[in-house]
Amino acid sequence: MANMTNKKAAPKRNAASSSNPFSTWWNQQSGAIKFSMERLWFNPVSTWITLAAIAIALSLPTSLHLLLKNMQTLTADNREIPTITLFLKQSVTEQQAKDRAELLSELPEIDNVRVVTRDEALADFRKITGFAQTLETLDENPLPHVLILTPRLSLLSNLDMDIDSLSKKLKTYPEVDDLQIDVEWVQRLRGILRIAERIVLVVSILLGMTVLLVVGNTIRLDIENRKEEIRVTQLLGATNAYIRRPFIYNGIWLGLFGGVLSLVIVHIALLFLIEPVTKLASLYGSTFILSGIDVLMTLKILLASSVLGIIGSWIAVGRYLWQDDSIIR
Amino acid sequence: MIEFKQVSKKYPTGQLALYNINLTLEAGEMVFITGHSGAGKSTLLKLVAMLERPTKGDVLIGGRSLSKLGRSQVPNYRRRIGFIFQDPHLLYDRTVFDNIALPLRIAGMGQNETRRRVQAALDKVGLTGRESTFPLMLSAGEKQRVGIARAMVNKPTIILADEPTGNLDPELAQDIMFTFAQFNELGATVMIASHDHALVERMKKRTIVLQKVD
Repeated sequence: MANMTNKKAAPKRNAASSSNPFSTWWNQQSGAIKFSMERLWFNPVSTWITLAAIAIALSLPTSLHLLLKNMQTLTADNREIPTITLFLKQSVTEQQAKDRAELLSELPEIDNVRVVTRDEALADFRKITGFAQTLETLDENPLPHVLILTPRLSLLSNLDMDIDSLSKKLKTYPEVDDLQIDVEWVQRLRGILRIAERIVLVVSILLGMTVLLVVGNTIRLDIENRKEEIRVTQLLGATNAYIRRPFIYNGIWLGLFGGVLSLVIVHIALLFLIEPVTKLASLYGSTFILSGIDVLMTLKILLASSVLGIIGSWIAVGRYLWQDDSIIR
Repeated sequence: MIEFKQVSKKYPTGQLALYNINLTLEAGEMVFITGHSGAGKSTLLKLVAMLERPTKGDVLIGGRSLSKLGRSQVPNYRRRIGFIFQDPHLLYDRTVFDNIALPLRIAGMGQNETRRRVQAALDKVGLTGRESTFPLMLSAGEKQRVGIARAMVNKPTIILADEPTGNLDPELAQDIMFTFAQFNELGATVMIASHDHALVERMKKRTIVLQKVD
């Protein structure tokens, strides 16, 4: 009684004096966790509807992301490594071509260099085209020596700039007559994928906001139903943190379980796709395998959905606490 | 302990509920506030519980002005106060036990201590054995007693009761008044607003009569 005003010295007053701050904190947290879990089962139908809405909103960007990731592995496939073909001038001798190849293979951008001499090229040409007779009529071999360069993979994942500057550099060599870059299709595909990446990002943001709104609205309705309870607890000395806590946990559960449900949906969709994709790949003679969601991505999705749940409920409770300073009248 | 200094309260509706109140309560005192309805009895109690703020003047608790209490300090201050309404404002989706345990849970008290305190409070208001009942199954008097138990369970230093016996039969009303007297004897400062003159007189405590202001 005497130290009534001594609030700072005895902030927890007699009620909690028997327990330390940590157990007070833990009791409040565990109480809120237990209570928010019970609230989920209080109205199972609305809970399931909310979870389904969140799950569907999350599974769309997840599956788009997976699609994109699979496309990217396609372009990174080792067997599809693109090449740069250098056509040397007619005057260049075979020895000069081999020397040049030697020098080129020293370049950091180049993985390896293969020399195709004009004789080899002619032989190949004969084999492939069946133009043997036509070629016989020519009195000399019209084909130049050719160097086939394989650029390093790291180069390809960089910007077009690198390929451009490399090709400019190659053109400056006196032996080089012309060059043909076989990486264009990869670059184009990468360009398209970059756009697709942006689209996935935009879709993810929009659907992330949907999750935010769904959680926020669910929590807002819950607050509306529990106004009386909030007022009573405020009267009994509940802090804003105490009032907020069960709603925040509720938001976490909605986000987390919604995320789990969305993963289930995406996995089922993948199972549905695996067979036809493998068949298609085998028709192309590829061993391409549809890649699914790995552990890291699973954790990322669950973390993101939980965080969205927290933000959504935080906004809903914050809005209520700001506007409603009132208490029982 | 509780001091009103030239307190006036005018509601935003223009209604003047209190005008120039000067009043001092000693620690451990028990007083009755009477007066006609509309005389500002409830407002007086609400000012102490910080459910309202005075338009003029100052309310001091233990020598400290409530106007200097920041928003974040209000919850902690309220935990020292037991407020009993005419309508006990019970939570109908929870058992009697959970209703009474609410202030302790807000304070973050452990399970065992909570159970012990709630049992003691139930015992004090004569509701032992009813802890798992839901409020809807209780009579008006029982509900009021649950409200009292909830206000007492945290051992508040100030007890404020606004017409606590308003809709109870006389015998029960007497009982409840004696319960308050008991808490008072244990050291709590008690303020009770009541218009039941007969009952107030029988309690033989200091009585403050509020006149209606116009």
